Amino acid sequence: MAELKTFKGGIHPPYNKELASGKAIKAAPIPSEVVIHLQQHIGAPCEPLVKEGDRVELGQKIGEAQAFVSAPVHASVSGTVKAITEVPNFTGAKVKSVIITPDPEQPEFQKRTGKDLDALTAEEVREIAKEAGLVGMGGAAFPTHVKITPPKDKPIDIVIINACECEPFLTCDHRLLLERTDDLIAGARLLKTAVGAGKVIFGVEANKMDAVDALRSRASSYPDVEVEVLEVKYPEGAEKMLIFALTGRKVPPGKLPSEVGCLVQNVGTAVALYEAAAWGKPLYERVVTVTGPGVREPANLLARIGTPISVLLEACGGLVGNPVKLIMGGPMTGWAQKDASAPVVKGTSGVVVLTSDVVDLGEESECVRCGKCVEVCPMFLSPNFIVQSVKRGQWDKAEMWGALDCFECGCCSFECPAYIPHVQYVRKAKAEIAALKKK
Amino acid sequence: MAMDNLVLTPPPHLRSKEQTAVAMRDVLIALAPITIAALVAFTYNALFNIAVCVGSAMFFELVARKIRKKKVTLSDGSAAVTGLLLALLLPAKIHWLNMIIASFVAVVIVKELMGGLGRNIFNPALFGFVFILIGSGFLASWTGHLGFLPGGFDGVQAATPVAYIKHGLQGAPSYAALLFANYGGAISEVGCFWILLGGAYLLYRKVINWVIPVTILATVFILAYILGSDGLYQILAGGVMLGAFFMATDWVTSPMYRWGQAVFGLIIGICIVLIRLYGGPSGAVAYSILIGNAFVPLLDKVFKPKRFGEVVAA
Repeated sequence: MAELKTFKGGIHPPYNKELASGKAIKAAPIPSEVVIHLQQHIGAPCEPLVKEGDRVELGQKIGEAQAFVSAPVHASVSGTVKAITEVPNFTGAKVKSVIITPDPEQPEFQKRTGKDLDALTAEEVREIAKEAGLVGMGGAAFPTHVKITPPKDKPIDIVIINACECEPFLTCDHRLLLERTDDLIAGARLLKTAVGAGKVIFGVEANKMDAVDALRSRASSYPDVEVEVLEVKYPEGAEKMLIFALTGRKVPPGKLPSEVGCLVQNVGTAVALYEAAAWGKPLYERVVTVTGPGVREPANLLARIGTPISVLLEACGGLVGNPVKLIMGGPMTGWAQKDASAPVVKGTSGVVVLTSDVVDLGEESECVRCGKCVEVCPMFLSPNFIVQSVKRGQWDKAEMWGALDCFECGCCSFECPAYIPHVQYVRKAKAEIAALKKK
Repeated sequence: MAMDNLVLTPPPHLRSKEQTAVAMRDVLIALAPITIAALVAFTYNALFNIAVCVGSAMFFELVARKIRKKKVTLSDGSAAVTGLLLALLLPAKIHWLNMIIASFVAVVIVKELMGGLGRNIFNPALFGFVFILIGSGFLASWTGHLGFLPGGFDGVQAATPVAYIKHGLQGAPSYAALLFANYGGAISEVGCFWILLGGAYLLYRKVINWVIPVTILATVFILAYILGSDGLYQILAGGVMLGAFFMATDWVTSPMYRWGQAVFGLIIGICIVLIRLYGGPSGAVAYSILIGNAFVPLLDKVFKPKRFGEVVAA
């Protein structure tokens, strides 16, 4: 067998996908209260369109911003607005949020039917994405309509659907690949329409061959759709790594994929775009993988945006063992939580609970220059020298060693024998450099 | 739900099994074959030397850390590695005070005063060794005494294998003897097969990569032949193997990047051959690696890799 496509660098963490990969998507319970942040995404926060005491219907737009880089938010349940107030999000930052008390009886979403997706123009697709509040659902939550509006002088010829799901433990994209194959392909082709690309490539890691087979059998009737199998390696699904693995093109430092004629979108986003275009359904729910050795019955739950993660954990039979890490997102890039109160946002791909037997909380010690961080860095940076510069407050040097090119995959810290949290230092460097540039 | 033990640390939340202490333990495991061979050859002399060197290195580190009010780091194993390497570099018969002096220089001056493990520029064990070596040309023969104090040795008068390199190989030990037998010099010169065994283990465990050892051995081999010497003899005799696999590969004092490592190996290899052929008979490998160490900051600057997607400025 030919060698699988991939990038240089990276790591092979324990994947533990089998905990949840066989579990079909099922609906999560409706909580007694949903908390919908008015800023779920990168970009401008939304202004509320409702007020305390208002009735809201499922899918009703409840927040919107005038800024271009933003996405509206919608009610994920029918109910009554209990309050509009500041609530901490999963990072601990306080954001203005709409709290809704759901009706005891929730309606089914009324799907619109009969839409001819092939007849849609690029402009229409972008408008649909915007109205539905679509954002990148792989975690970064960048507003989709902005991403599919590339600069005029940078034509896009390839749409890449990121079906790597290279984060350990997570399986929500895997399930969508298996259960929503046709919708996913339709959504991907809408993305192609939106940017005027010639073809769509699905990049799937080799640990999901059932998904590859499903995609290949369904996509065979579309000459513009290709399915590629990629090596199982983290971070295969990082935008720049994925583009390189599939096309050999290298996005230059500080540039976007449009620079090399590519658009990358996550599986969940493509499915959501299909739902928005075909059914008129805004993004008010998503699949969240609730898994890890600390979860009694791992599952892939279709959860309403704003559902507190405690509700999801209860739906999975609660916790087992000695949980020491409750992570919102994947274990490589997600945020550790101090309790289970944070609500699901559009970018929440998983809730992972790690127990004391799998978490190694060693103490940070001096760098011994082993060079492992350099070897695994997919961006060919020098994480150890970035850390050294940060420790000395030399921000220009931190930039010189590549702090701004780091996308925080965490490979360096994963391999570091001295337990150095490089990502933490890089974040500090980014903040300081940005502050200096403002002056 | 039991969530009292939740900790808030930054991502990533998973990590490999890599630990500095595990790597040091691997180095000690890799040194086991040659250490055992040395113990078999020199029995209680070797045992005494190893005990003094390892003991004093650990003692000095403990005291230095206490005085500097830093966390005691004996458990990372680096002091033990330094002590053992030092003992392996020395001949069997050597005054114990010389070992203490070398150990003090290695641990206190070269390592702790530079800021501790990770900050030192020079390989501690080699620097300590060279410090007492400068006192006398002891290693050329078995009879000379080492360092600043006379040793209590009255052994056979015989040239070490390295001494033959400069003056021709008549009467020198065979390749096989260099691989498996004891031909004098340092206690680690008891068959470089045992060092290769340890080197292979370090490669297998990915504690080291192949670039530095291979470039050193290749450079010595080829340059020796070019200069009319026996290249194979050169890499088998003396401390080249120990230096190539255990000293030059020291994480802290070797370059970060592959190309820097290759040039580092090249510099060391060239120095070894030149010193052996045109300089003094002893310590060529030690001097060469220390010279290489001095180039590391420069090599790290010159060979900084291009970032992903970065184009070379025209």
